[in-house]
Amino acid sequence: MEAATVTSAPSRRRSEAVWEFISTYGLILLLLALPIRYGIQDLSDDGNLNRLGNNLVEGLSNGAVLALIALGYTLVYGIIELINFAHGEVFMLGSLASAALYATFGLTPATGAAGLVLGLAAILILAMMVSASLNVMIERVAYRPLRGAPKLAPLITAVGMSFILQNVGVLWIGASQKAVPDLLGSQKHLIEIWGVSITRGHVLAIAVTIPLVLLLTSFVARSRLGKAMRATAQDPEAARLMGINVDTTISLTFLLGGLMAGAAGLISALYQTSIWYFQGFSAGLYAFTAAVMGGIGNIRGAVLGGVIIGIIQGISDNRIGNDWTPAIVFVYLVIIMVFRPQGLIGEETREAG
Amino acid sequence: MSRVAQLRRDPRAGVAIAVLGGIAVALFPLFRPPLDGLTNDAILALAFVVMALGLNLVVGFAGLLDLGYVAFYAFGLMVTGWWASDFFSSVNDEKGIHVGTSDFVSSLPGIHLNLLLLIIGAIVICATAGILIGLPTLRLRGDYIAIVTLAFGEIISRVFANGDEVTIFGDNKLSNGRQSISPIDQINLPIFGEFDSATDLRPYYWAVLALVLVVLFVDFRLRDSRLGRAWIALREDEVAAASMGVPLVKTKLLSYAAGGAFGGISGAFLGPFFSSINANQFQFGFSIFILAMVILGGLGSVWGVVLGAVSLSFVNYWLIPDVLDGEFVRGKLDSLGLEFSFSEVTFGVFGFLLVLMMVLRPEGLLPERRRQIELTSGEGPLDDTKAAVFEARA
Amino acid sequence: MSVESGNGSVDSLLATEHVTKAFGGLVAVEDVSFHVKPRSIVSIIGPNGAGKTTFFNMLTGLYKPTLGRILFGGTDVTGTRPDIITSLGVARTFQNIRLFSSMTATENVMVGQHARMKAGLFGSILRPPSVRKEEIAVRDKAREMLAYVGLAENHFGQLASNLSYGDQRRVEIARALASDPALLLLDEPTAGMNPQESARLTEFMEQLREERALTILLIEHDMKVVMGVSERITVLDHGTKIAEGQPEEIRADDRVIEAYLGKREGGQQG
Repeated sequence: MEAATVTSAPSRRRSEAVWEFISTYGLILLLLALPIRYGIQDLSDDGNLNRLGNNLVEGLSNGAVLALIALGYTLVYGIIELINFAHGEVFMLGSLASAALYATFGLTPATGAAGLVLGLAAILILAMMVSASLNVMIERVAYRPLRGAPKLAPLITAVGMSFILQNVGVLWIGASQKAVPDLLGSQKHLIEIWGVSITRGHVLAIAVTIPLVLLLTSFVARSRLGKAMRATAQDPEAARLMGINVDTTISLTFLLGGLMAGAAGLISALYQTSIWYFQGFSAGLYAFTAAVMGGIGNIRGAVLGGVIIGIIQGISDNRIGNDWTPAIVFVYLVIIMVFRPQGLIGEETREAG
Repeated sequence: MSRVAQLRRDPRAGVAIAVLGGIAVALFPLFRPPLDGLTNDAILALAFVVMALGLNLVVGFAGLLDLGYVAFYAFGLMVTGWWASDFFSSVNDEKGIHVGTSDFVSSLPGIHLNLLLLIIGAIVICATAGILIGLPTLRLRGDYIAIVTLAFGEIISRVFANGDEVTIFGDNKLSNGRQSISPIDQINLPIFGEFDSATDLRPYYWAVLALVLVVLFVDFRLRDSRLGRAWIALREDEVAAASMGVPLVKTKLLSYAAGGAFGGISGAFLGPFFSSINANQFQFGFSIFILAMVILGGLGSVWGVVLGAVSLSFVNYWLIPDVLDGEFVRGKLDSLGLEFSFSEVTFGVFGFLLVLMMVLRPEGLLPERRRQIELTSGEGPLDDTKAAVFEARA
Repeated sequence: MSVESGNGSVDSLLATEHVTKAFGGLVAVEDVSFHVKPRSIVSIIGPNGAGKTTFFNMLTGLYKPTLGRILFGGTDVTGTRPDIITSLGVARTFQNIRLFSSMTATENVMVGQHARMKAGLFGSILRPPSVRKEEIAVRDKAREMLAYVGLAENHFGQLASNLSYGDQRRVEIARALASDPALLLLDEPTAGMNPQESARLTEFMEQLREERALTILLIEHDMKVVMGVSERITVLDHGTKIAEGQPEEIRADDRVIEAYLGKREGGQQG
């Protein structure tokens, strides 16, 4: 009988370790499947990896936008365990607002460099504020009254909000995709590195995203409000007892998520040079996939996940076809949620076991 | 007690109202023209009652939030596209395969099966799909279940929308992609013969009414059974249910399978009624359309869901396009200089309803009996449902 | 060591061997071996956070032990699904009552009989005579159980959430009894009860053993109940077993007094 427990002990531990190993590296392998497959194809067809390189660069800039949106999902989920389904629409409306502000500021592709930079900086701030206040308002109207209700109730209202906001988009710009002025000449070739063409759009996406993510990270890590956020995320009840105003902290979280989504909205308008009321739906789901992939609640994870999904999207758009991209990303979503719900670098949730 | 209250307390009054209502529902198309807009909308409403009852099994009874119900709509319709049209025109040396079809259809190439076989096929396919979609969600928490089912719904819709690029069984396409598959065979029933939706809609109405009655019967039987109690126990407290001997995996999968089967039944009816199938119909919005019916009526409440499905169908197919976007309102709005059509914001209306219901009246318009009766004393025999409701209202 | 698991499994209804449960790095239960004889009443006591409920959750299959074995009636049930363990004859109640709140008292107890019923999907839809008969029998038995635990008959049809606290406790016990268990696990059954109610429950436990040949394992904080009803007591502290024996032995055990009784003598856990 002693022997039995002795042998069963390590074997059980080992099986868990094996599962951990398989699920981590299996997922990584799965994520690498597309780049590897098309890398091999490129090498045998062209003898170089230029095409794949271009896909990756495009994916990276997609990923920057997705990362900014994913931050909103991850922050909110981290603090109230709610999938803010309307977050994609907050991004979409940020995009619509940005495009509308082009005209307000009189920006056209002919505007000079200085005017363009100043104008876009102003638009960036305004778009961020629009999305942020919208996100805060959504929380007040649709989620706060349901705090303490069964967990699925706020998710259902979130879905409802998402449809309402989509239709706000429809009323605003109509139901079809709308081209917006290509202010930056986003397709304009900037430099070429190892046969990979880098455009202005690529640089813009990365150049806006990195400082914002750094700012957000340091805010959450260092500021008093950031600490309140983390405390609330850990244990709302204890945070309340410690004198933290939980409602304010939750509003702040929605505010931060909205700010990031607004920035993503402007980048998207500049980079895609088109806006659409439905752009938030798939972008939102991709970004949510990114957040889960990185480990929901984890800021760095959201950025990593955004980049990964962006690259998958970039490769799929160019190689398999636009129409298939959602299906492919959603297959990844299902696989991650089922086999590794804690994400690539997340920890297991509170209730282990 | 007032006379009205007395009347409402009397169960016979309820029975009388139910009988009269039933007769009115069954006979109203006789008083309408054969090709009537109202009959058309009523047929759709009843088909969606079947769908909503199916989703209610999963979301209302078992408490599993399924946001991908469009998958079963897609499979149900595709079953008719595959097996009741000339889609597989090359089978059997282009002579086709025919089972229980009318003389005319029997001369066409492709696979052509009778409605009853289509329904059985759709039940089998959708129940299997339900189990396959349910399997990965078994260990997940509620909100993750919602997203995974949503993802499956989108994957399936996408695959059908791009199905012209997918080949199965040799060089057959999976679907016509964004091109329609049409025409779908008209319904052909023993005794009643072949329907013709171009000249008379009423047979379709009575057929779908019969389907609704069968599905309601099954729904009530399931609710008041060992399985139904297990679903509700699961919804209330998974841990306690498991500890009382309810097998979680089997019980959850049965709810997905049964819910999917209902969706398939409705789809197999709607294919012939629409007479053409287009993968563009398979959108996430459809899942929300059906979910809104369930929530509006009352999660878990059978009659509530019927009410929710009928009212939202009429909002969608009559109130918005015919009334709000009709000439009268249109004219008023135009004179105010407002240029907008309500049809564009249909889903915003459903979204608004979802938010409104969850915030103000989460139990729905006609709440489940369990949530409705606050106090009843004693307990009657097995079928005390009606009495209890009347007591509660009195 | 009083437990020799080799022969312990022969004449014990329930036996655990070196059962351990770790959550990540935290060890909630460590190396607990013990056994319960048929038709006995045994208590597990210990301060809050001692791992008692975790231990119960392993016995009922909600948690899988990290290490060790659990034997019920001689068969290894380690890591077996909770519903199968229930069908083998283990039933339980919960520390904070977990009734199905939107179901009536009767329906709750009917769910308790799930494992003893046969009706499947098609049986439920078609409702042949066998299913009809089963349904009636199950309902009758549910009412019988509710009467047995002393619920007033006019409360049978009430929603569980509308019942008084004491009645909810009763319904929970009836629901557990409905699965015809050989072993009944009660997790703090007297929590929130006044001394008279506790005393009545103590009598009821003895009655259950006599009339229904039940074995009862309970987690309890109320020392009066524990000392009054238990044949044997196992004491857990920080996840490990620190003492085991008859009530008098436990009362005299220095380690127990230090870990538990000394801190909260005569006190009732709120």
